[in-house]
Amino acid sequence: MANVVLLDDHTHRNLRVSRHTSREVAEVNVVSVIPREFQRLVAHYPIFFIKSSASGRFEPAALLGFQPKENLYWTDGQWRVAYAPLQMQRQPFSLLPAQNQVSVAIDLSSSQLESGAGDGERLFLDDGRPSQYLQNITSMLSALVSGSTEAYAFTARLAELNLLEPVRIDVTFVDQSEAKLQGLYWIASAVLKALPAAQLAELRDREFLEWMYFQMASVSHMSGLVARKNELLSGATPQARTR
Amino acid sequence: MGIEITLIESRQQPPIGVGEGTWPTIRTTLKQIGITETAFLRECDASFKQGSQFVQWVDGSAADSYWHPFTLPAGYIDRDIAPYWLELPQRQPFAHSVCFQPELCANGQAPKQITTPEYAGLANYAYHLDAGKFAPLLEKHCVEKLGVKHVYDEIVRVESEPSGYITALVTHSGNRLAGDLFIDCSGFASLLIGKHFGVPFVSQKDVLFVDKAWAVQVPYRDENARIGSATVATAQSAGWVWDIGLTSRRGVGYAYSSSHRSDQDALAELQSYLSTRDDALAELSFRNIAIRSGYRREYWVQNCVAVGLSAGFLEPLEASAIVMIELSAKSIANLLPSSRDVMQHAARVFNETFRYRWERIVDFLKLHYVLSRRTGSPFWTENRRAASIPDSLRAGLDYWRYHSPWHDDFLHREEIFSAASYQYILYGMGFPTESASWLLSDSDRNLALESMRETAARAKALAAALPTNRDLLNRVRQYGLQKI
Repeated sequence: MANVVLLDDHTHRNLRVSRHTSREVAEVNVVSVIPREFQRLVAHYPIFFIKSSASGRFEPAALLGFQPKENLYWTDGQWRVAYAPLQMQRQPFSLLPAQNQVSVAIDLSSSQLESGAGDGERLFLDDGRPSQYLQNITSMLSALVSGSTEAYAFTARLAELNLLEPVRIDVTFVDQSEAKLQGLYWIASAVLKALPAAQLAELRDREFLEWMYFQMASVSHMSGLVARKNELLSGATPQARTR
Repeated sequence: MGIEITLIESRQQPPIGVGEGTWPTIRTTLKQIGITETAFLRECDASFKQGSQFVQWVDGSAADSYWHPFTLPAGYIDRDIAPYWLELPQRQPFAHSVCFQPELCANGQAPKQITTPEYAGLANYAYHLDAGKFAPLLEKHCVEKLGVKHVYDEIVRVESEPSGYITALVTHSGNRLAGDLFIDCSGFASLLIGKHFGVPFVSQKDVLFVDKAWAVQVPYRDENARIGSATVATAQSAGWVWDIGLTSRRGVGYAYSSSHRSDQDALAELQSYLSTRDDALAELSFRNIAIRSGYRREYWVQNCVAVGLSAGFLEPLEASAIVMIELSAKSIANLLPSSRDVMQHAARVFNETFRYRWERIVDFLKLHYVLSRRTGSPFWTENRRAASIPDSLRAGLDYWRYHSPWHDDFLHREEIFSAASYQYILYGMGFPTESASWLLSDSDRNLALESMRETAARAKALAAALPTNRDLLNRVRQYGLQKI
């Protein structure tokens, strides 16, 4: 159970937090992302749009695996690629409303917390000032907040212009097992090609066009994602046989 | 090029303002004319309607209730499972056995999720809407998006050829509007089809006794109050009470026969209905409405076609008014004569089709009364008198004693009430059909039982996945629904 409390420079002065994403956080096959990190995500992850279950609005997300809880980019506490989505990096911190503003909060139940003198990061310096690590976390959290607003403005405009369409992904893996992914959307390239110049200019001016191309380019990582899964499957099968 | 449409709206004919129930066809209609579901739900205080619940229609006992859901019985396209339900010694009510929807309705749940695209659903649905807000939405959309010209004026004279063929309408403000086709939407005034052409009105008063209604708008006790998923129709001494939930309020009314109950007694009965549901009566204003059940002998004469109340009206028990308008508009669009020469043919097809439809609605409404076993009030016992039952309905009832209603019993492809609707009413009301054993087979029996098991599983799964009506409608208000 999560135990989220506001961060406090007295109570949490000596707390250390590991940078290694914990299993309970990492084991998801879809993670919400923001447009400002597309440029870095596009080096590794396929990005799609999914509908928020709370609002039905479209939001960008990186696809990490084919089954619920399957993250093919993460093994035993380590990310296997150079960049982890902000939504993962910010853990176990979040923002909570407190006295007319939002403050940084921490989930005390997270296994990223270390009480001893491990290699974890300190949150506060001895004099109580926030550490560089905590400062980075804080700016990450505010980037996620403004990024989410930006993302919804982006996807709302795409939906309005009919620039999103559902995509169905059916994959067969080396062991002949299959995965069918539903609920994913991407840029409707045919609609984009036929878009009037004025709307194209508007998308360009709002940086949306750039983000759209990042999304479209990112889909090429689907083959990489399948390869990761196949590697896992063919690696695991002989072991299972010898047992 | 194309078609020019001018709507003349009278300020002197007040809108009726009831008729807040629709059929699932409305989703296709709204989508086709280009109104988004989000705008419709928000602007008309609309809610999702998944069918009707009939309370105390069978025998009037406390537990007496059955459902007519919009979703078809399981396996309906392939096979009729009703005979296999009928032969079960121990069974759930019919609608629950063959359809997952009654359970959703009983829970006040929505037919879809916030992630479900516009006009799509996990269960079939229509809407409850505020008619007073729906008309302005349609007006705005038709004028701004569809190029309809809208004027407020009164029609004072009809110019016509000796045959009656209309050439122009002259209005109070002195305008003369010439046209090729005139659609009579003048309501009960029936200015063109009734007054100009003198087409007689075919009263159904001797079949459907309800001729009056008390209507009232009831506020919710708090903003999170449950919004019902179905129209609740509760039988009374001389008719029935409708109770529907919009997002903003409930619409409640008592449709009654003035030959069997005085206006004052009917009002007291409606107030007692509300009191037993803890509704505060003090602030409510009750309106009395005349219901003249019947339809014109013809709807399309020469170059004039009547749509809506000018064509006919029947008591609102199965919300047939708006669906008849939709069907009329669709037929006119499909039949639209390209020249005067083919007008006669269009008129004949339209008249035959719609005469058939009005008659079938009368049959279907009457069915609810004929099957009742309520006693103790003349309204109900007289409703079962043979003389008041149309021959077509009586023939059907004779046939259904040995065969459950099925597609082939009906003549038209687009039956307004399909065999499925007949099954829900007949078996909801305990009608005994004895299928001949040689009509049944073990393989169909197994498939039917499987369908019933699947229905139960589906009901459970959907009940766990779907939000309440209120919850979803709040989210729609806040976020809207997606087109895809």
